[in-house]
Amino acid sequence: MEINSIKSEKLNEVIFDVELSNGLKVFYMPKRNYVKKYAIYSTNYGSIDNTFVPIGEEKELIVPEGIAHFLEHKLFEEPDVSIFDEFAKLGSYVNAFTSNNQTAYLFSCVAEFEKNLELLVEFVQNPYFTQENVEKEKGIIEQEIRMYNDSPDWKVYSNCLSAMYVNHPVKIDIAGTVESTRSISKELLYKCYNTFYNPGNMVLFMIGDIDFEKALTIIEKGQKNVRKLDNGITRIKVKEPEEINKSIIEEKLSVSIPLFNIGFKDIDVGYDGEKLIGKEICTSVLLEVLYGSSSAFFQELYKEGLINQNFGFQYLGYKDYGYAVLVGESKAPKEVHKRILQVAVNVSKKGISEDDFKRTKRKLIGYHITDLNSIDNIATAHINYYYKNSHIFNYLEVLEGITINDLEKRSRDFLNEKNCCLSIVNPK
Amino acid sequence: MEYSRKEIGNGIGVSTIYMDKFKSNLITLSFIRPLLGEEASLNALVPAVLKRGTKNYSTYMDIQKKLEDLYGATLNLDVNKKGEKHIIRFSIEGPEGEYTGEANYLDKLFNLLLEVIYDPYIKDGVFLEEYVGQEKENLIRRIEGRINDKKQFAYERAIEEMCKGEKFSIYRFGDIESVKNIDNLSLYKHYNKILDTSPIEITIIGKTLDIDFEKALKDKIDMNRREILNIPRENISNKKQSGKSVIFEKMDISQGKLILGYRINIPYEDKLFDAFIVASEILGGGPNSKLFLNVREKESLAYYIHSQVLKYKSIMVVSSGIEKENYEKTKEIVKNQIDQMIRGDFTEEDIKDAKNSITTSIKALEDNNYSVADYYLSNAVSKENKSFVDYVNSINGVSREDIISSCQELRLDTIYFLTNEEEVK
Repeated sequence: MEINSIKSEKLNEVIFDVELSNGLKVFYMPKRNYVKKYAIYSTNYGSIDNTFVPIGEEKELIVPEGIAHFLEHKLFEEPDVSIFDEFAKLGSYVNAFTSNNQTAYLFSCVAEFEKNLELLVEFVQNPYFTQENVEKEKGIIEQEIRMYNDSPDWKVYSNCLSAMYVNHPVKIDIAGTVESTRSISKELLYKCYNTFYNPGNMVLFMIGDIDFEKALTIIEKGQKNVRKLDNGITRIKVKEPEEINKSIIEEKLSVSIPLFNIGFKDIDVGYDGEKLIGKEICTSVLLEVLYGSSSAFFQELYKEGLINQNFGFQYLGYKDYGYAVLVGESKAPKEVHKRILQVAVNVSKKGISEDDFKRTKRKLIGYHITDLNSIDNIATAHINYYYKNSHIFNYLEVLEGITINDLEKRSRDFLNEKNCCLSIVNPK
Repeated sequence: MEYSRKEIGNGIGVSTIYMDKFKSNLITLSFIRPLLGEEASLNALVPAVLKRGTKNYSTYMDIQKKLEDLYGATLNLDVNKKGEKHIIRFSIEGPEGEYTGEANYLDKLFNLLLEVIYDPYIKDGVFLEEYVGQEKENLIRRIEGRINDKKQFAYERAIEEMCKGEKFSIYRFGDIESVKNIDNLSLYKHYNKILDTSPIEITIIGKTLDIDFEKALKDKIDMNRREILNIPRENISNKKQSGKSVIFEKMDISQGKLILGYRINIPYEDKLFDAFIVASEILGGGPNSKLFLNVREKESLAYYIHSQVLKYKSIMVVSSGIEKENYEKTKEIVKNQIDQMIRGDFTEEDIKDAKNSITTSIKALEDNNYSVADYYLSNAVSKENKSFVDYVNSINGVSREDIISSCQELRLDTIYFLTNEEEVK
């Protein structure tokens, strides 16, 4: 077993990595002065993986919406003990989350890291689904879904995704619907589990003041699946047209002022690695320059009372889909939408100023450095980079390499009216 | 971690916290005000206007550009309640100079922070009317926007109803009527009152700490301000001042939000208070707590249910999201679980787990620079001198008897239910 390492001289940090014989990737980043020790065990399986060929079968299967998230809940169930109790005995914090692309289980502790790690490795590999415990979970999940339904921020975002995408399962709510989760059975859960919770499809990242050798021994000893998966997992990709589903979507909820999400659907997709990271960072710089807190756009709309401090934006890029969302509250969301598009049109005419470009780069360099204060942030960010076939330490170098030309080109290609959707939640 | 605090003038405390693990410098400066109906909105509006412009950076855009130049330094201005104290906090954070090569970075950060606070953009001797007008609008929108986050709204409304007639019921941004009545002159007057009469607490955290605060501040303010406010300790009366004890509020929502407010009737200075912290953890602290097990895992009634302690007011709040038809059932389970706490019906294991969980959280605060700053600010505000280690030791020293005693005076004060129907059958 070979231990590799990647160093960042600039950040004065190092990350070690190992691949076990069964294909599991293990990473460790030392953080000597931190009190917390943290581990996250993640599988490359999220809400978008809803059509696939189950392992050992030949026919493709479409599973109910929300099943990856349901599975996350149920993995905490064990025949004899309560996982929550076991972690509580160690004084640790345990949690899990499901996103569009991954399901992750994590703990943080201040003592007994090795016992915690043993527990994490054990329970994630030990599904225990019974008809009874699956039925019981449905009530809890229903309440979770109803809680999201009462969150207008979430609704406006989720509606925006459904406006951008015609077929792609990213438009489906991660938790599914009350109806879809009712059709989940223990058999289906096992199929999903056996297919996606394979060591070759998983990664374990540890951070803190940890004895890496000891930790590795625990992880290796705990592996139930010792054989490497021969072939990969067959995930069926739907064909997503370049066009958006619809340009505007509105809903009424009890809110005080209209909430909006303005989404740009990325059609330049289909690759990962440095190219994907480059596109992602380039788009972030572009959005900061055009719509950031120091932009003329922000200044004007703020003065006119069209946006407030809650205005913000983000670009998310994955191998087979990507989008930007600009979010906020406004008495006139349609006007904000118009002005956002205008800014993009002006860029193609006038270009971007050298001064704005340089300042924004400095800002993003600073943000990246400051983000490394949080070991939780590092863990989730690192796993994201790994799934995109890159490394967190590449960020600064990629950022340095971006030019004004890249930004202007990206603006022309991406920030267009034809791939832009407006989602509004209006007061009742 | 090395911590020290000194007074560098009348009513100006500086806490210096050396921690070499962070890659950033963080400086905060807080004004401590009493939480009062007549000034809550003014306190909230002052930082909102200050962030709009300074003497040298007259627009928001100019300030933002300056922050970007400083490698994406972030300037945060907020108002929060700590018990019945209203804290106006200004903070600035940016990456440590060794990673960016920026010289004298710390001084640059602190000078910008001071400029925002002490050198506002002034026209005709007062704040710019345009800035005041716009920020009044924004503040009104923010107060109206409380209904958007249903969980938080239910929680805040429950506190308002429970503490009706007490200062603690005042919302951190005040109320819409008060905001409307503010003009640029009255705001400017209040701003000066804040500068002249508030106790000031400064904290600095990081690897580099070499700022001469005294020297930097001397240029801005009188170090021997005369009239520093003495803000009294919160009243923790066990009697409901006024209002009803069961409130149903109607809103068009998908899931009911149930909040139960209890009076603990032990002041935080009392030795027994930490025992109650342990009690609340056993009851509703985490996923192995009594409430979580019984309401969620056994009965599948809720996705979330937890209890929390509001230290300065000696209040415990139980929050949950449930279907309206499960109102009685949930209430009953919570009541039974609390009765079990009072009777001492919990195991040694429960105590050990709860202590372990609390002390883990306390220790883990050290990994977040904002949490460390806030911890020491709280200490300064409540005139306590409790290190992380002291706090951990105190929790570990709690006995079973202490926990039972600490629950004896616990009284249900207010039930608040936010639901889509007025009456619950």
